[in-house]
Amino acid sequence: MITGLLHSIAEGFRGLIRAKFSAFVSISTILLSLILIGVFVIFILNAQRLVNQIQSRLELEIFIDNSYTIEQVEELRLKIIAIDGVDSVRYISKERAAEIFRQQFGQDIFEILDENPLPSSFQVKVKPSFRSAGYAGQISKNLSKLEGVEEVFFRQDLLIILERYIRIFVAVILGIGLLLAVGSIFLVSNTIKLIIFSRSPIIEIMKLVGATRQFIRRPFLVEGIIQGLIGGSLAALFFYLILKILKLEIPGLILINQKNYPLLMMMGVLFGLIGSLLALRKFLKY
Amino acid sequence: MIQLSNIVAKYPGGEGLELVKFTVEPGEFVYLVGPSGAGKSSVLKVIYLDIFPQSGHVIVNGYNSLTIKKKHIPYLRRKLGIIFQDFKLLPDRCVFDNVAFTLRVTGTRRHDIKRKVLRVLAEVGLSHKRNKLPLQLSGGEQQRVAIARALVNEPIVLLADEPTGNLDPESAEDIMRLLEKINAKGTAILMATHDYRLVRHHRSKIVRIEKGKTS
Repeated sequence: MITGLLHSIAEGFRGLIRAKFSAFVSISTILLSLILIGVFVIFILNAQRLVNQIQSRLELEIFIDNSYTIEQVEELRLKIIAIDGVDSVRYISKERAAEIFRQQFGQDIFEILDENPLPSSFQVKVKPSFRSAGYAGQISKNLSKLEGVEEVFFRQDLLIILERYIRIFVAVILGIGLLLAVGSIFLVSNTIKLIIFSRSPIIEIMKLVGATRQFIRRPFLVEGIIQGLIGGSLAALFFYLILKILKLEIPGLILINQKNYPLLMMMGVLFGLIGSLLALRKFLKY
Repeated sequence: MIQLSNIVAKYPGGEGLELVKFTVEPGEFVYLVGPSGAGKSSVLKVIYLDIFPQSGHVIVNGYNSLTIKKKHIPYLRRKLGIIFQDFKLLPDRCVFDNVAFTLRVTGTRRHDIKRKVLRVLAEVGLSHKRNKLPLQLSGGEQQRVAIARALVNEPIVLLADEPTGNLDPESAEDIMRLLEKINAKGTAILMATHDYRLVRHHRSKIVRIEKGKTS
């Protein structure tokens, strides 16, 4: 068993050295694909973070019936906090609203009007898992039904647009990533095909002297795995170096972290393995 | 040990084996004689199950072509030694490695490989040329390497497909003597040849084949 495995590994390396050029091409393709996929992941992570930041600022503003007493407002506050998805509630009195008005417009509202028309309100923060247009809309509806609530306001349109664009963005990037993965798998498969053809005399002899199917196929699988591993490792090295350079330049940027390097290498190995399996299925029917 | 019963194995063009039946018993030396294109190589291919018969069946050392699973074919072939007219040696490996190849691909342990290869090389008289590449050897010597490779796994039968076809008469005679020596030690031999002269000189059981039919 161990002798067989060592033989497969040795033959795998030998095959790669024999088909140097095509191995170089497929390793480069795996490397490029993984780098691009990695860059896309960085894009997605950063876009997602941007969306999260916007969503974290999501607040619903509830305007309260002007005739409500302090006791009624407190009662209303308790009802609001009991609603599913509500994280926290902050009361803005009429006086505080006038103060905010003055801060925003630089003018006292009493200078324009004789009385303060601004209603008291609640600013409602939503729990993180409810910060989508759909959930927030539902919360808004539930709030509107409460007695004493005059109006509920939040930027649902902005959330809807944001969510739609991020979905399109992720879908496009995933599509391109998939194409790249398929492309590199195809090239690995082609390299293995060339190696199979160049080694058809040895394969014939192996069959004649009673080598098992697994024994004949294994070196080709090893070759695919090695190609993937080299491509994946180089991609990890690329991101390691980029991380070192960019981290200093753009402090707020999310990058692929060190935990993802094994993942990159595993993806490379997976590309290599699938490529070899495809070639074996097609060109080594034994 | 080998039993072919009413084998029919046609190629898409219509040629192939019509009706082949014969047996090879343990320790026998059997000639399969017929003109070129009569189906001799196809018969050998049926025996090592490179070709499956469309009707009839072949039994080799208990493996039946009707019931054998694909994964068991390598184990059947380990019981056979096969040699060809064109030797089929690996040109980039020395004599020792060509012979050891059989053992390596069938999972023999490293220290057993050395012992077995040196013993079989001595048997075919090539111990002193173990480090040479095939192209540094004569045709007769290359065929001896092929025979050593076929024998190293201690097969029950040696299938020889025109083993002297590419050799000068003297080398051919050497190979025939070597095959007889191997046979005398108990390994059965089935040798396909179109060379009737050879068969007359080295008398043994003969199976004739013509247009895919044995008689």
